[in-house]
Amino acid sequence: MENAIVLPPEILGYFKNFPITNTLLVSWITMAVLIIISVLATWKVRLVPSGLQNLFEMIIDFGHTTVSDLAGDKKAKVFFPIVMTFFLFILFSNWIGLLPGFATIKFHGEPLLRSMNSDLNMTLALALISAILTHIFALRYLGLLEYLKKWFTLNPIFLFVGILELVGEFTKIVSLSFRLFGNIFAGEVVLATISGIFAFIVPLPFYFLEIIVGFVQAAVFMMLTLVFMVLLSEKHAEEH
Amino acid sequence: MEILNQFGINPLLLAAQVVNFFLLLFILKRFLYKPILKVLEERKKKIEESLRNTEEIEKRLSETNEKIEVMISRASDEAQKIIDESKKERVLYLEETKEKADKMAQEIIKKGQEAVQAESVRMEQEVMSKVAEVVVSAMEKVTGKVLNKKDQKEIIEKEVKNLS
Repeated sequence: MENAIVLPPEILGYFKNFPITNTLLVSWITMAVLIIISVLATWKVRLVPSGLQNLFEMIIDFGHTTVSDLAGDKKAKVFFPIVMTFFLFILFSNWIGLLPGFATIKFHGEPLLRSMNSDLNMTLALALISAILTHIFALRYLGLLEYLKKWFTLNPIFLFVGILELVGEFTKIVSLSFRLFGNIFAGEVVLATISGIFAFIVPLPFYFLEIIVGFVQAAVFMMLTLVFMVLLSEKHAEEH
Repeated sequence: MEILNQFGINPLLLAAQVVNFFLLLFILKRFLYKPILKVLEERKKKIEESLRNTEEIEKRLSETNEKIEVMISRASDEAQKIIDESKKERVLYLEETKEKADKMAQEIIKKGQEAVQAESVRMEQEVMSKVAEVVVSAMEKVTGKVLNKKDQKEIIEKEVKNLS
Protein backbone atom coordinates (compact mmCIF):
# COMPACT_ATOMS: atom_id res chain seq x y z
CA MET A 1 0.00 0.00 0.00
CA GLU A 2 2.73 2.44 -0.85
CA ASN A 3 0.53 4.54 -3.11
CA ALA A 4 -3.10 3.95 -2.19
CA ILE A 5 -4.44 7.09 -3.85
CA VAL A 6 -4.35 6.75 -7.60
CA LEU A 7 -7.01 8.72 -9.41
CA PRO A 8 -6.87 7.27 -12.94
CA PRO A 9 -7.64 3.57 -13.37
CA GLU A 10 -4.72 1.25 -13.93
CA ILE A 11 -4.36 -0.01 -17.47
CA LEU A 12 -3.93 -3.76 -17.58
CA GLY A 13 -3.23 -4.08 -21.24
CA TYR A 14 -4.23 -3.03 -24.73
CA PHE A 15 -6.57 -4.68 -27.17
CA LYS A 16 -5.22 -3.16 -30.39
CA ASN A 17 -5.47 0.53 -29.47
CA PHE A 18 -8.11 0.02 -26.85
CA PRO A 19 -6.93 0.30 -23.25
CA ILE A 20 -8.43 -2.29 -20.94
CA THR A 21 -8.47 -0.93 -17.40
CA ASN A 22 -9.18 -2.83 -14.20
CA THR A 23 -12.42 -0.84 -13.71
CA LEU A 24 -13.64 -1.80 -17.16
CA LEU A 25 -12.91 -5.41 -16.33
CA VAL A 26 -14.99 -5.08 -13.16
CA SER A 27 -17.74 -3.44 -15.16
CA TRP A 28 -17.84 -6.51 -17.40
CA ILE A 29 -17.81 -8.81 -14.40
CA THR A 30 -20.70 -6.87 -12.85
CA MET A 31 -22.65 -7.11 -16.07
CA ALA A 32 -22.02 -10.83 -16.28
CA VAL A 33 -23.11 -11.37 -12.67
CA LEU A 34 -26.25 -9.29 -13.13
CA ILE A 35 -27.21 -11.01 -16.35
CA ILE A 36 -26.63 -14.47 -14.93
CA ILE A 37 -28.62 -13.70 -11.78
CA SER A 38 -31.50 -12.15 -13.69
CA VAL A 39 -31.64 -15.03 -16.14
CA LEU A 40 -31.65 -17.46 -13.21
CA ALA A 41 -34.37 -15.46 -11.50
CA THR A 42 -36.63 -15.54 -14.54
CA TRP A 43 -35.64 -18.92 -15.91
CA LYS A 44 -38.97 -20.36 -14.88
CA VAL A 45 -41.32 -17.54 -13.99
CA ARG A 46 -44.06 -18.83 -11.78
CA LEU A 47 -47.21 -17.17 -10.51
CA VAL A 48 -46.32 -18.29 -7.03
CA PRO A 49 -42.80 -16.95 -6.68
CA SER A 50 -39.91 -18.39 -4.71
CA GLY A 51 -36.23 -17.71 -4.11
CA LEU A 52 -34.53 -15.37 -6.54
CA GLN A 53 -37.72 -14.58 -8.39
CA ASN A 54 -39.26 -13.41 -5.13
CA LEU A 55 -36.30 -11.16 -4.35
CA PHE A 56 -36.25 -9.56 -7.78
CA GLU A 57 -40.00 -9.16 -7.78
CA MET A 58 -39.69 -7.17 -4.58
CA ILE A 59 -36.95 -4.92 -5.99
CA ILE A 60 -38.63 -4.42 -9.33
CA ASP A 61 -42.07 -3.90 -7.85
CA PHE A 62 -40.69 -1.24 -5.52
CA GLY A 63 -38.85 0.46 -8.37
CA HIS A 64 -41.84 0.31 -10.65
CA THR A 65 -44.23 1.80 -8.10
CA THR A 66 -41.75 4.58 -7.38
CA VAL A 67 -41.36 5.40 -11.06
CA SER A 68 -45.07 5.25 -11.84
CA ASP A 69 -45.90 7.38 -8.80
CA LEU A 70 -43.56 10.09 -10.01
CA ALA A 71 -43.88 9.84 -13.77
CA GLY A 72 -47.34 8.40 -14.36
CA ASP A 73 -48.09 5.05 -15.96
CA LYS A 74 -47.38 6.08 -19.56
CA LYS A 75 -43.93 7.57 -19.04
CA ALA A 76 -43.06 4.93 -16.45
CA LYS A 77 -42.99 2.34 -19.21
CA VAL A 78 -40.09 4.20 -20.87
CA PHE A 79 -38.34 5.54 -17.77
CA PHE A 80 -38.49 2.43 -15.64
CA PRO A 81 -35.99 0.16 -17.46
CA ILE A 82 -33.37 2.90 -17.66
CA VAL A 83 -33.72 4.04 -14.07
CA MET A 84 -33.83 0.47 -12.79
CA THR A 85 -30.74 -0.48 -14.77
CA PHE A 86 -28.87 2.48 -13.28
CA PHE A 87 -29.83 1.30 -9.83
CA LEU A 88 -28.95 -2.36 -10.32
CA PHE A 89 -25.73 -1.65 -12.21
CA ILE A 90 -24.41 0.81 -9.63
CA LEU A 91 -25.59 -1.23 -6.65
CA PHE A 92 -24.05 -4.45 -7.87
CA SER A 93 -20.79 -2.85 -8.94
CA ASN A 94 -20.46 -1.10 -5.57
CA TRP A 95 -21.08 -4.27 -3.64
CA ILE A 96 -18.91 -6.42 -5.88
CA GLY A 97 -16.15 -3.86 -5.32
CA LEU A 98 -16.20 -4.71 -1.61
CA LEU A 99 -15.40 -8.38 -2.17
CA PRO A 100 -12.01 -9.68 -1.12
CA GLY A 101 -9.41 -9.71 -3.86
CA PHE A 102 -10.11 -6.18 -4.97
CA ALA A 103 -6.96 -4.05 -4.97
CA THR A 104 -4.96 -6.95 -3.53
CA ILE A 105 -4.62 -9.30 -6.47
CA LYS A 106 -1.85 -7.90 -8.68
CA PHE A 107 -1.43 -8.28 -12.39
CA HIS A 108 1.92 -7.08 -13.79
CA GLY A 109 2.33 -4.93 -10.71
CA GLU A 110 -1.10 -3.32 -11.01
CA PRO A 111 -4.25 -4.30 -9.05
CA LEU A 112 -6.31 -6.61 -11.26
CA LEU A 113 -9.66 -5.52 -9.84
CA ARG A 114 -10.81 -2.10 -8.74
CA SER A 115 -14.31 -0.97 -7.77
CA MET A 116 -15.97 0.23 -10.95
CA ASN A 117 -17.21 3.57 -9.66
CA SER A 118 -13.83 4.59 -8.25
CA ASP A 119 -12.99 5.51 -11.83
CA LEU A 120 -14.36 8.81 -13.10
CA ASN A 121 -14.59 7.36 -16.63
CA MET A 122 -17.32 4.99 -15.53
CA THR A 123 -19.35 7.43 -13.45
CA LEU A 124 -19.01 10.19 -16.04
CA ALA A 125 -20.26 7.80 -18.70
CA LEU A 126 -23.30 6.96 -16.57
CA ALA A 127 -23.96 10.63 -15.83
CA LEU A 128 -23.69 11.52 -19.51
CA ILE A 129 -26.14 8.75 -20.42
CA SER A 130 -28.51 10.00 -17.74
CA ALA A 131 -28.34 13.62 -18.92
CA ILE A 132 -28.53 12.90 -22.63
CA LEU A 133 -31.45 10.50 -22.22
CA THR A 134 -33.21 13.07 -20.06
CA HIS A 135 -32.98 15.64 -22.84
CA ILE A 136 -33.98 13.15 -25.51
CA PHE A 137 -37.12 12.29 -23.52
CA ALA A 138 -37.85 15.97 -22.97
CA LEU A 139 -37.66 16.57 -26.72
CA ARG A 140 -39.82 13.56 -27.40
CA TYR A 141 -42.57 14.40 -24.91
CA LEU A 142 -42.60 18.18 -25.36
CA GLY A 143 -41.69 18.71 -28.98
CA LEU A 144 -38.91 21.03 -30.15
CA LEU A 145 -40.79 24.29 -29.52
CA GLU A 146 -41.87 23.51 -26.00
CA TYR A 147 -38.42 22.18 -25.24
CA LEU A 148 -36.73 25.39 -26.37
CA LYS A 149 -39.29 27.45 -24.46
CA LYS A 150 -37.92 25.91 -21.29
CA TRP A 151 -34.66 27.78 -21.76
CA PHE A 152 -35.43 30.78 -23.92
CA THR A 153 -38.30 33.19 -23.39
CA LEU A 154 -38.88 36.81 -24.35
CA ASN A 155 -39.34 37.83 -20.75
CA PRO A 156 -35.86 39.07 -19.75
CA ILE A 157 -36.06 37.75 -16.19
CA PHE A 158 -37.08 34.31 -17.30
CA LEU A 159 -34.52 34.44 -20.10
CA PHE A 160 -31.87 34.87 -17.44
CA VAL A 161 -33.36 32.09 -15.33
CA GLY A 162 -33.45 29.87 -18.40
CA ILE A 163 -29.77 30.47 -19.10
CA LEU A 164 -28.97 29.70 -15.48
CA GLU A 165 -30.90 26.47 -15.78
CA LEU A 166 -29.02 25.65 -18.96
CA VAL A 167 -25.81 25.97 -17.00
CA GLY A 168 -27.47 23.85 -14.31
CA GLU A 169 -27.90 21.03 -16.82
CA PHE A 170 -24.13 20.77 -17.14
CA THR A 171 -23.75 21.01 -13.39
CA LYS A 172 -26.03 18.01 -13.11
CA ILE A 173 -23.63 15.88 -15.11
CA VAL A 174 -20.72 16.97 -12.96
CA SER A 175 -22.58 16.51 -9.68
CA LEU A 176 -23.95 13.09 -10.64
CA SER A 177 -20.60 11.75 -11.76
CA PHE A 178 -18.48 13.28 -9.01
CA ARG A 179 -20.88 12.34 -6.23
CA LEU A 180 -20.78 8.68 -7.15
CA PHE A 181 -17.07 8.73 -7.92
CA GLY A 182 -16.20 10.64 -4.74
CA ASN A 183 -18.18 8.40 -2.44
CA ILE A 184 -16.88 5.14 -3.81
CA PHE A 185 -13.30 6.34 -4.27
CA ALA A 186 -13.24 7.74 -0.74
CA GLY A 187 -14.60 4.44 0.51
CA GLU A 188 -11.81 2.59 -1.27
CA VAL A 189 -9.20 4.89 0.21
CA VAL A 190 -10.66 4.60 3.71
CA LEU A 191 -10.77 0.81 3.50
CA ALA A 192 -7.22 0.63 2.18
CA THR A 193 -5.93 2.96 4.88
CA ILE A 194 -7.75 1.20 7.73
CA SER A 195 -6.65 -2.20 6.45
CA GLY A 196 -3.12 -0.83 6.32
CA ILE A 197 -3.31 0.18 9.98
CA PHE A 198 -4.76 -3.10 11.23
CA ALA A 199 -6.14 -5.73 8.91
CA PHE A 200 -8.35 -7.66 11.35
CA ILE A 201 -11.77 -6.72 12.75
CA VAL A 202 -11.06 -2.96 12.72
CA PRO A 203 -12.08 -2.50 9.04
CA LEU A 204 -15.34 -4.37 9.68
CA PRO A 205 -17.47 -1.33 10.66
CA PHE A 206 -16.14 0.48 7.62
CA TYR A 207 -17.20 -2.41 5.42
CA PHE A 208 -20.73 -2.13 6.82
CA LEU A 209 -20.60 1.57 6.17
CA GLU A 210 -19.49 0.96 2.58
CA ILE A 211 -22.36 -1.49 2.05
CA ILE A 212 -24.78 1.22 3.10
CA VAL A 213 -22.98 3.87 1.04
CA GLY A 214 -23.06 1.58 -1.98
CA PHE A 215 -26.81 1.19 -1.66
CA VAL A 216 -27.47 4.84 -0.93
CA GLN A 217 -25.39 6.05 -3.87
CA ALA A 218 -27.18 3.68 -6.23
CA ALA A 219 -30.55 4.88 -4.90
CA VAL A 220 -29.51 8.54 -5.14
CA PHE A 221 -28.33 8.16 -8.72
CA MET A 222 -31.53 6.40 -9.64
CA MET A 223 -33.83 8.88 -7.91
CA LEU A 224 -32.03 11.94 -9.29
CA THR A 225 -32.13 10.57 -12.82
CA LEU A 226 -35.82 9.81 -12.40
CA VAL A 227 -36.62 13.24 -11.02
CA PHE A 228 -34.65 15.03 -13.74
CA MET A 229 -36.44 12.99 -16.39
CA VAL A 230 -39.87 13.71 -14.92
CA LEU A 231 -39.18 17.42 -14.40
CA LEU A 232 -37.74 18.02 -17.83
CA SER A 233 -40.40 16.11 -19.73
CA GLU A 234 -43.18 18.09 -18.11
CA LYS A 235 -44.59 21.26 -19.61
CA HIS A 236 -43.47 24.54 -18.18
CA ALA A 237 -45.75 25.26 -15.24
CA GLU A 238 -45.86 29.06 -15.51
CA GLU A 239 -46.95 30.32 -18.91
CA HIS A 240 -47.59 34.05 -18.98
CA MET B 1 -8.62 19.99 -19.53
CA GLU B 2 -5.70 19.21 -17.31
CA ILE B 3 -8.14 18.00 -14.63
CA LEU B 4 -9.63 15.43 -17.02
CA ASN B 5 -6.17 14.05 -17.67
CA GLN B 6 -5.56 13.89 -13.96
CA PHE B 7 -8.65 11.72 -13.55
CA GLY B 8 -7.57 9.58 -16.47
CA ILE B 9 -10.56 10.39 -18.65
CA ASN B 10 -10.32 8.53 -21.90
CA PRO B 11 -13.02 8.91 -24.58
CA LEU B 12 -12.57 5.28 -25.52
CA LEU B 13 -13.26 4.16 -21.97
CA LEU B 14 -16.28 6.46 -21.76
CA ALA B 15 -17.62 4.96 -24.98
CA ALA B 16 -16.96 1.47 -23.66
CA GLN B 17 -18.93 2.17 -20.51
CA VAL B 18 -21.80 3.68 -22.54
CA VAL B 19 -21.88 0.56 -24.67
CA ASN B 20 -21.78 -1.56 -21.51
CA PHE B 21 -24.72 0.31 -20.03
CA PHE B 22 -26.92 0.01 -23.09
CA LEU B 23 -26.05 -3.62 -23.52
CA LEU B 24 -27.00 -4.24 -19.91
CA LEU B 25 -30.16 -2.16 -20.32
CA PHE B 26 -31.22 -4.21 -23.32
CA ILE B 27 -30.46 -7.56 -21.73
CA LEU B 28 -32.07 -6.74 -18.39
CA LYS B 29 -35.14 -5.35 -20.12
CA ARG B 30 -35.50 -8.56 -22.07
CA PHE B 31 -34.67 -11.04 -19.31
CA LEU B 32 -35.58 -9.34 -16.04
CA TYR B 33 -38.03 -6.46 -16.26
CA LYS B 34 -40.39 -7.85 -18.85
CA PRO B 35 -41.03 -11.29 -17.33
CA ILE B 36 -41.17 -9.99 -13.77
CA LEU B 37 -43.50 -7.11 -14.56
CA LYS B 38 -45.65 -9.47 -16.58
CA VAL B 39 -45.96 -11.94 -13.75
CA LEU B 40 -46.65 -9.11 -11.28
CA GLU B 41 -49.42 -7.82 -13.51
CA GLU B 42 -50.81 -11.32 -13.90
CA ARG B 43 -50.82 -11.88 -10.17
CA LYS B 44 -52.51 -8.53 -9.60
CA LYS B 45 -55.23 -9.45 -12.05
CA LYS B 46 -55.67 -12.84 -10.47
CA ILE B 47 -55.94 -11.40 -6.97
CA GLU B 48 -58.45 -8.81 -8.12
CA GLU B 49 -60.48 -11.49 -9.83
CA SER B 50 -60.48 -13.79 -6.86
CA LEU B 51 -61.44 -10.93 -4.54
CA ARG B 52 -64.33 -10.09 -6.80
CA ASN B 53 -65.34 -13.75 -6.87
CA THR B 54 -65.23 -13.92 -3.09
CA GLU B 55 -67.51 -10.93 -2.83
CA GLU B 56 -69.97 -12.46 -5.23
CA ILE B 57 -69.91 -15.77 -3.42
CA GLU B 58 -70.53 -14.08 -0.10
CA LYS B 59 -73.39 -12.10 -1.57
CA ARG B 60 -74.93 -15.19 -3.02
CA LEU B 61 -74.48 -17.10 0.22
CA SER B 62 -76.26 -14.43 2.24
CA GLU B 63 -79.00 -14.33 -0.36
CA THR B 64 -79.43 -18.07 -0.17
CA ASN B 65 -79.47 -17.93 3.61
CA GLU B 66 -82.20 -15.33 3.53
CA LYS B 67 -84.18 -17.40 1.10
CA ILE B 68 -83.82 -20.48 3.26
CA GLU B 69 -84.93 -18.57 6.32
CA VAL B 70 -87.98 -17.26 4.55
CA MET B 71 -88.81 -20.74 3.31
CA ILE B 72 -88.40 -22.24 6.75
CA SER B 73 -90.60 -19.65 8.40
CA ARG B 74 -93.23 -20.10 5.73
CA ALA B 75 -93.11 -23.87 6.08
CA SER B 76 -93.39 -23.68 9.86
CA ASP B 77 -96.34 -21.29 9.49
CA GLU B 78 -98.03 -23.72 7.19
CA ALA B 79 -97.32 -26.63 9.46
CA GLN B 80 -98.84 -24.72 12.38
CA LYS B 81 -101.89 -23.98 10.28
CA ILE B 82 -102.30 -27.62 9.35
CA ILE B 83 -101.95 -28.69 12.95
CA ASP B 84 -104.51 -26.14 14.10
CA GLU B 85 -106.96 -27.17 11.42
CA SER B 86 -106.62 -30.83 12.21
CA LYS B 87 -107.17 -30.13 15.90
CA LYS B 88 -110.34 -28.23 15.12
CA GLU B 89 -111.50 -30.97 12.80
CA ARG B 90 -110.86 -33.60 15.42
CA VAL B 91 -112.93 -31.78 17.97
CA LEU B 92 -115.72 -31.35 15.47
CA TYR B 93 -115.59 -34.97 14.44
CA LEU B 94 -115.60 -36.14 18.04
CA GLU B 95 -118.66 -34.09 18.82
CA GLU B 96 -120.42 -35.33 15.75
CA THR B 97 -119.68 -38.94 16.54
CA LYS B 98 -120.77 -38.48 20.10
CA GLU B 99 -124.06 -37.01 18.99
CA LYS B 100 -124.60 -39.81 16.52
CA ALA B 101 -123.82 -42.42 19.14
CA ASP B 102 -126.17 -40.75 21.62
CA LYS B 103 -128.94 -40.70 19.10
CA MET B 104 -128.38 -44.33 18.20
CA ALA B 105 -128.32 -45.39 21.80
CA GLN B 106 -131.53 -43.55 22.48
CA GLU B 107 -133.18 -45.15 19.51
CA ILE B 108 -132.06 -48.58 20.60
CA ILE B 109 -133.36 -47.96 24.10
CA LYS B 110 -136.66 -46.75 22.76
CA LYS B 111 -137.00 -49.71 20.48
CA GLY B 112 -136.17 -52.03 23.33
CA GLN B 113 -138.74 -50.40 25.56
CA GLU B 114 -141.37 -50.63 22.87
CA ALA B 115 -140.58 -54.28 22.32
CA VAL B 116 -140.82 -54.97 26.04
CA GLN B 117 -144.15 -53.17 26.26
CA ALA B 118 -145.61 -55.06 23.34
CA GLU B 119 -144.45 -58.33 24.83
CA SER B 120 -145.95 -57.55 28.17
CA VAL B 121 -149.30 -56.64 26.59
CA ARG B 122 -149.26 -59.83 24.60
CA MET B 123 -148.36 -61.85 27.70
CA GLU B 124 -151.14 -60.25 29.66
CA GLN B 125 -153.67 -61.10 27.00
CA GLU B 126 -152.44 -64.64 26.87
CA VAL B 127 -152.61 -64.98 30.65
CA MET B 128 -156.12 -63.53 30.67
CA SER B 129 -157.35 -65.89 28.05
CA LYS B 130 -155.73 -68.82 29.85
CA VAL B 131 -157.34 -67.71 33.14
CA ALA B 132 -160.71 -67.42 31.47
CA GLU B 133 -160.36 -70.91 30.08
CA VAL B 134 -159.40 -72.25 33.50
CA VAL B 135 -162.35 -70.47 35.15
CA VAL B 136 -164.71 -71.79 32.51
CA SER B 137 -163.45 -75.30 32.89
CA ALA B 138 -163.63 -75.04 36.73
CA MET B 139 -167.14 -73.71 36.57
CA GLU B 140 -168.09 -76.55 34.31
CA LYS B 141 -166.75 -79.00 36.80
CA VAL B 142 -168.62 -77.24 39.62
CA THR B 143 -171.92 -76.68 37.89
CA GLY B 144 -171.76 -79.58 35.62
CA LYS B 145 -172.68 -77.62 32.70
CA VAL B 146 -171.54 -74.81 30.85
CA LEU B 147 -173.13 -71.65 32.04
CA ASN B 148 -174.66 -69.52 29.48
CA LYS B 149 -176.02 -66.13 29.85
CA LYS B 150 -179.34 -67.21 30.99
CA ASP B 151 -177.94 -69.47 33.69
CA GLN B 152 -175.71 -66.79 34.89
CA LYS B 153 -178.61 -64.47 35.28
CA GLU B 154 -180.61 -67.09 37.09
CA ILE B 155 -177.80 -67.80 39.54
CA ILE B 156 -177.19 -64.15 40.17
CA GLU B 157 -180.91 -63.60 40.81
CA LYS B 158 -181.09 -66.63 43.14
CA GLU B 159 -178.16 -65.44 45.07
CA VAL B 160 -179.60 -61.97 45.30
CA LYS B 161 -182.90 -63.49 46.72
CA ASN B 162 -180.93 -65.50 49.26
CA LEU B 163 -179.31 -62.45 50.40
CA SER B 164 -182.42 -60.55 50.94
